[in-house]
Amino acid sequence: MGVKLLLEKAHVEGIRSYEVYRREGGYRSVEKALKTMSTDAIVEEVKKSGLRGRGGAGFPAGMKWSFIAKPEGVPRHLVCNADESEPGTFKDRYLMEFIPHLLIEGLIVSSYALGSHDTYIYIRGEYAWIVDILENAINEAKANGWLGKNILGTGFDCEIHVQRGAGAYICGEETALIESLEGKRGNPRLKPPFPAVKGLWQRPTVVNNVETLASVVPIINLGGEEYAKIGVGKSTGTKLISACGNINKPGVYEIDMTISVEEFIYSDEYCGGIPNGKRLKACIPGGSSVPILPANLLLKTAKGETRYMNYESLSDGGFATGSMMGSGGFIVLDEDQCVVKNTYTLARFYRHESCGQCSPCREGTGWMEKLLLRLEKGQGKISDIDLLWDIQSKIEGNTICPLGDAAAWPVAAAIRHFRDEFEWHVTHAEEAQKRNYGLAHYADAIHVPVTA
Amino acid sequence: MSDQLFKVTIDNITIEVPAGTTILNAARQIGGEVAPPAMCYYSKLQGSGGKCRTCLVEVSRGSEKDPRPMPKLVASCRTTVMDGMEVKNITSPKVIDARVGIVEFLLLNHPLDCPICDQAGECHLQDLSYEHGKEGTRYEFQKRVFKKHDLGPYIQLHMTRCILCYRCVFTADQLTDKREHGVLDRGDHSEIATFIEKNLDHDFIGNVIDVCPVGALTDKTFRFKNRVWFTKPVDAHRDCPTCSGQVQLWMRGDEVFRVTARKDEWGEVKDTTDGKPGWICNTCRFEKKHINDWVIEGPSKVNRHSVIAQGHYVGLTIPNETMPKVMHGRGPKLLMDIHSVSEVNAADIELSLLEGPATSKTFNHSEKTNA
Repeated sequence: MGVKLLLEKAHVEGIRSYEVYRREGGYRSVEKALKTMSTDAIVEEVKKSGLRGRGGAGFPAGMKWSFIAKPEGVPRHLVCNADESEPGTFKDRYLMEFIPHLLIEGLIVSSYALGSHDTYIYIRGEYAWIVDILENAINEAKANGWLGKNILGTGFDCEIHVQRGAGAYICGEETALIESLEGKRGNPRLKPPFPAVKGLWQRPTVVNNVETLASVVPIINLGGEEYAKIGVGKSTGTKLISACGNINKPGVYEIDMTISVEEFIYSDEYCGGIPNGKRLKACIPGGSSVPILPANLLLKTAKGETRYMNYESLSDGGFATGSMMGSGGFIVLDEDQCVVKNTYTLARFYRHESCGQCSPCREGTGWMEKLLLRLEKGQGKISDIDLLWDIQSKIEGNTICPLGDAAAWPVAAAIRHFRDEFEWHVTHAEEAQKRNYGLAHYADAIHVPVTA
Repeated sequence: MSDQLFKVTIDNITIEVPAGTTILNAARQIGGEVAPPAMCYYSKLQGSGGKCRTCLVEVSRGSEKDPRPMPKLVASCRTTVMDGMEVKNITSPKVIDARVGIVEFLLLNHPLDCPICDQAGECHLQDLSYEHGKEGTRYEFQKRVFKKHDLGPYIQLHMTRCILCYRCVFTADQLTDKREHGVLDRGDHSEIATFIEKNLDHDFIGNVIDVCPVGALTDKTFRFKNRVWFTKPVDAHRDCPTCSGQVQLWMRGDEVFRVTARKDEWGEVKDTTDGKPGWICNTCRFEKKHINDWVIEGPSKVNRHSVIAQGHYVGLTIPNETMPKVMHGRGPKLLMDIHSVSEVNAADIELSLLEGPATSKTFNHSEKTNA
C-alpha cells in the first residue's frame, strides 16, 4: 500500500462538504502558510519538494513560480488549468468532483505565495456539473473566512473565480487558455513573452494544473523536504494516474512512483490485470499524445531493466524506446486491439482539435487522418507509411504550440514500434477488415546485448 | 535600450541592428535570398506573423552571453535578435527541408486554380512555391472547398484559396473602427467570415485586398478584367479628403483597370511621403477609374521578384537590330508584303457586278486595264 497524500480522505463520507473536510484536517496548510510563512518561504518550500507540473510537461513547479515577474503596481494572477481534455486523462475531474476543497485550499496557499488576488479556475465546458461543486466549495470557504477580504486577519485578499471553457482541447494550452479566459478565440500565443511576464491581461501569470496546485497542500503540511522523500529521484511525491482501456479495474489511482509498470497493471491494488485472460499488447502510459509502447518495451526498458511508473523510468530510452509520464492517462490495449485503428482515432481527434492557426498543424493533422483512415480501411499503400512518417517529422517542432507535437508523436511511435502491423493492413487488406493483427511478437522478450 | 545596437550574423553576413529588431527585419536589411519568405507577417500590422511558419530559421548561436543554439527552428518574424546571435537561413539544410514541408502543407488545400485566379502574377504563394517548393504533391485526397462570399459590393471572398494568414483580420481590426470579420471554426475547416453574411462597409476595408497574399480576397471591380502582367503600373495621386491619395494605377493604354496602394519589394504597403503607411480609401480604390481623376507621376518601379516585374518598362533597352547590318543595309522583306502585291484583298472590285465567276484575271491590274 503506497503513500496517499491527495486521495487519502477522498472516501470519507461527505468530504465534499466544508464541515467534514475541515474536521478531517482541511485548511491546516492555509493557517500554516498565511500565519507563519513568508511568500518566498512557500515558493522555496515548493522548490525543495521537487514537485513537477502534473499537466503533462513535468516542468518543476517551484521553478515556474520563481520566474513570475513582479513589476511594481501590476496585479499578478494565478490560473488553475482544469481544462483536462487529453483523451485518457480524467484525474483532475475525480479530484475536483470528490474532494473539491483540496483544490480550493491549494489555490489559496498558492495565490498567497504568488500574490494573486484574483485567481481563476478555467474548467472545461464538458465538466458542467463540477462547476457547481467548485462554486459551492468556494462559497463555503468564503463563508468560513478562507476567502475574501483580509483572510485570517493577515491582510491578504483573494477571490477565486470559476470560468467555463467552451469545449476546445487547445484551450488546455496555457496561452490559449489565457486568450479564452480574456474572452477571445482560444488561439495559442507566440512565446516569448511567456505568461510569467505577460499573461492574463498582459499581467504576470502562473498557469498550473489542478493536481499540481492540490499537491501544494501536502507540501506545506509535511514540509518540502519530507515531501521530496516520497518517490524516487526527480519524481517526488505522489501522482494521480487515470487508468483505462482493457483492464479489470479502470479508475483513478494515487501512486508514489516507486512501483513498476507491471505491478501497476497486474496487481489487485491497482488495475487488477487484463480481463478475460487476454495478453497485454501495448500501452499509452501518459495520455493520448505520448508515444505508445509495445508490451515488451513497456515492462522492461531497452536495457532490460524493469520500467517503473515515474518520470525518469517511463522516458528511459528517449522516444526511440521510451515514452513519457505525461498527464497520467494510462491507456492499456490488449491483444485484440488494432494499433492502426487506435492511431487513426487519435489522429482524428488532433485534426478536429487543431486551432488552425499555423500551417503545419492545420494541414498536416488532416492529411495524417486521411492517410490513416485509408490504411485502416485496407485501401492504403506501403508508401503511405513512409509518407506518414515524413508528415509527422515535418509537423513536429515546427508549430506554435505543443499540439503539433502531440499530434505527431502518437503517429511516429505507432509506426516506429508497430510497422509490421501497418504493413499487414496493406498486404492483407481483406483479412485486415475481418480480424485484427493480434499480439504477434510485441510481447516477446527483446534481445539485450551483454555489455562489459 | 532602443539606441543600443546588436550585432547579428545571418547566413555568415554580419550586420548591426537596433535592439528589438526581429530576425526577419534584420535579414531584410541584408536583402536578397537571405531574407526568409513571409506569408503571414506584415510589418504594418500589429500582432501579425508567426502563423505560416515559412520564415522558420535556425538559430545556431543564441547570443554572446548564452551561446547555446535554440533547440527548435524559430519563426524569424517574431523572434528578436540578441547580441552576437548567429542565424542560419539558406545555409541550413534543416531550414530548407522544413520550408519544403511548409510549402507542401500550404498547397495541400489550395486549389491551384492560378489560370483563372486574378492574383496570378502577383501571388505570394505562387512565388513561394516556385522558389521553395517541390514539383508535385503527395496529397491524394479531396481538397476542402468553400462557397464564394460577397463581402459588400466591392470585395469577394473565395475561402477555398485562403491560407489563413490572418492578415485581413488584423487589417479590419486595426484600420476600421468596428470589427466585422474574423475566423470561424478551427483546424483545416476554419474560415474567414463575416458572421454570417455581412457587408464589409468601411472607408478603408478595401485594403484587405492588398494585404491578402493569395487570391482569396479580390477586387470585384477588377475581377476577370485583365491579367496583372498585361497592365502597366503607374504611380499617381489625387487630392483625397479621406486618405493620402497616393496610389498605383494598373493601366492598359489610357484605361485604368485597377487602383491599389503602392507596394514595396516585400509586397507590403509603402509609406507615403509623410511617413505613414499608405493605406488607401475605398473611393480611390474602387470609384476613381478614369484617367482624368488622377495626376500621373510616372511609371512605378516594381522591384518585387515576381511576374508583375515583367511589366517593367523603366530603363528598358531596346535590343540592337542586327538584320540590316548582316544584310548590307537592306531591311528584311516580310511575308506580309504579299498582300499588297497580289491585291487579292483589294476592295475596289465588286464581285457581285461581275458576269460569271471571278478568275485570277479579275484581280490582275494589267488584264483589267486591257479589257
